[in-house]
Amino acid sequence: MRSPLRRTWNVLAVFVVATWLFPVYWVVMTSLKADRDINTATPKFVFDPTVNNYQEIFERFQFGKVLINSFVIVSVATAITITLALLAAYSLARMRLRGANALALVILSFRFMPGVVVVLPYYLTFSELRLTDSYTGMVLVYVAFGLPFAVWLLRGFLLDLPQDIDEAARLDGLGRLAILRRIVLPLAAPGVAVTAIFTFVFNWNEYLFALILTDARALTVPVQISKMIDAYSVLWGNLSAAVVLQLIPMVIVVFLLQRHIVRGLALGAVK
Amino acid sequence: MTALAFVLPTLLYLLALSVYPLFYAGWQSLNLSNLFNPTVTHFIGLRNYTDLFEEDFFWISVKTTLVWTIVVVSVELVLGLALALLLDRKLRGVGLLRSLIIIPVFISPIGMGLTWRFIYEPVGGLGNWLLGSVGLGESRWISSTETALPSIMIADIWQWTPFVALILLAGIQSISPEILEAARLDRVRGPIYVFRIVLPLIWPVLLVVALIRLVDSIRTFDLVYIMTRGGPGSSTLVASVYDFTIFQAGNLGKMAALGFLLLLLINALVVVFLRALSRQERRTRRAARV
Repeated sequence: MRSPLRRTWNVLAVFVVATWLFPVYWVVMTSLKADRDINTATPKFVFDPTVNNYQEIFERFQFGKVLINSFVIVSVATAITITLALLAAYSLARMRLRGANALALVILSFRFMPGVVVVLPYYLTFSELRLTDSYTGMVLVYVAFGLPFAVWLLRGFLLDLPQDIDEAARLDGLGRLAILRRIVLPLAAPGVAVTAIFTFVFNWNEYLFALILTDARALTVPVQISKMIDAYSVLWGNLSAAVVLQLIPMVIVVFLLQRHIVRGLALGAVK
Repeated sequence: MTALAFVLPTLLYLLALSVYPLFYAGWQSLNLSNLFNPTVTHFIGLRNYTDLFEEDFFWISVKTTLVWTIVVVSVELVLGLALALLLDRKLRGVGLLRSLIIIPVFISPIGMGLTWRFIYEPVGGLGNWLLGSVGLGESRWISSTETALPSIMIADIWQWTPFVALILLAGIQSISPEILEAARLDRVRGPIYVFRIVLPLIWPVLLVVALIRLVDSIRTFDLVYIMTRGGPGSSTLVASVYDFTIFQAGNLGKMAALGFLLLLLINALVVVFLRALSRQERRTRRAARV
């Protein structure tokens, strides 16, 4: 009796998701079009694909260098963030620390800070210390930016593990750091991976800090993309290629860790 | 003791790179200080704040931010709930649908904003082509003061509804199977099922996701900046974008003051929501005891 109705809903679900992703499909298509197929009176759905746009952004907009900048800054920042966050989360979730829950909330509250408030002190201090437009400066900022949420997320994952494994390991004479590294870390690996990904993505996409604190040497991908429209007439093909290049690593990651990511998202909100 | 030693690095880091900058910004907001002439800085008390209150642009940006936040967050919550219910089914490949729908969340607002700008191109853009093919007239999208804000809202809603949906979906799927089974046996369906069973049970999750989206919408910058820079005129001038233009004009004290007002607003919101959440938690606990 209810099977036709259910099928209608299923078809609707597929249809909604497909429609929702249309802008993504569109930017991928645009990145593969020659200019004559982009600047048309009506949008063109059939065309000869070309990779010209991808070649051009490497030649004209130093995209190779910018990708490396972003990749190095964001990877180093993520590694430091996860190390610090793992220690803190382990303590907050699994050691007898008085006021652990309140402290976790205090740390989380920094996630809500508007960027425009702290970017000015960063700018002024960094100018004095000659840290503007440097990898070091950007890493420092991004660790501060990602740490609160990473601690919160990891704490959620660590709370989920049964408490008695620590006790058992302690009776075996392991120290706290050894327990964390040899026992908790392997068990919490998916959670650590998800946290690392979220940290990476936030930094990879970050714009305001990079806009104000970098100039030439440490320019990141989002800033370079935004500069592509300032300096020239809008080259939609090139821009789309840049957007797609920025997106590709994220999509790969989403598919590799799809189940864990949804769980991570939920955990960040529910716990 | 070790417990404290493990959190200490994080606390010290945040102290140096978040708490200290906050105080620094607070001090800046009480000073007259200029980006292009940094040697002349002097204390002027609350002048930056009172100056802001007398400015039309300040009140325009407050109004724009509030309209933006209220519209965007409520639409995202409603659509997100609908999408969550739609994806809450046992269908082969539904896992794939769920990971596909999350892609917009991972796109940078910069990349996203540009994609939508291209869609909104007056000639040859997908937007006007679509309007034309359903027999409607062309729109000027982000280049008219009337349609610019709604056009950016569409882009934001497109990006963040999946985020809301997936979190609500996780909430729905953590509802105990007995309750759902009982509802099914009682033939509770449709709106009654949604409003009487699902919503009350996922209420805490809904509050949290609403809070996250509210805070992020109030301080929104990237998307609006890349799409319109606050224009045309001041039709999309949200507070963060206005604050950035103050920075560009070199007025550091005033920039810090507006940033601080934003911070206060966000703090007030967070407090209200945390109160509501803990009240909810107490109620659930009391209900569980009975």
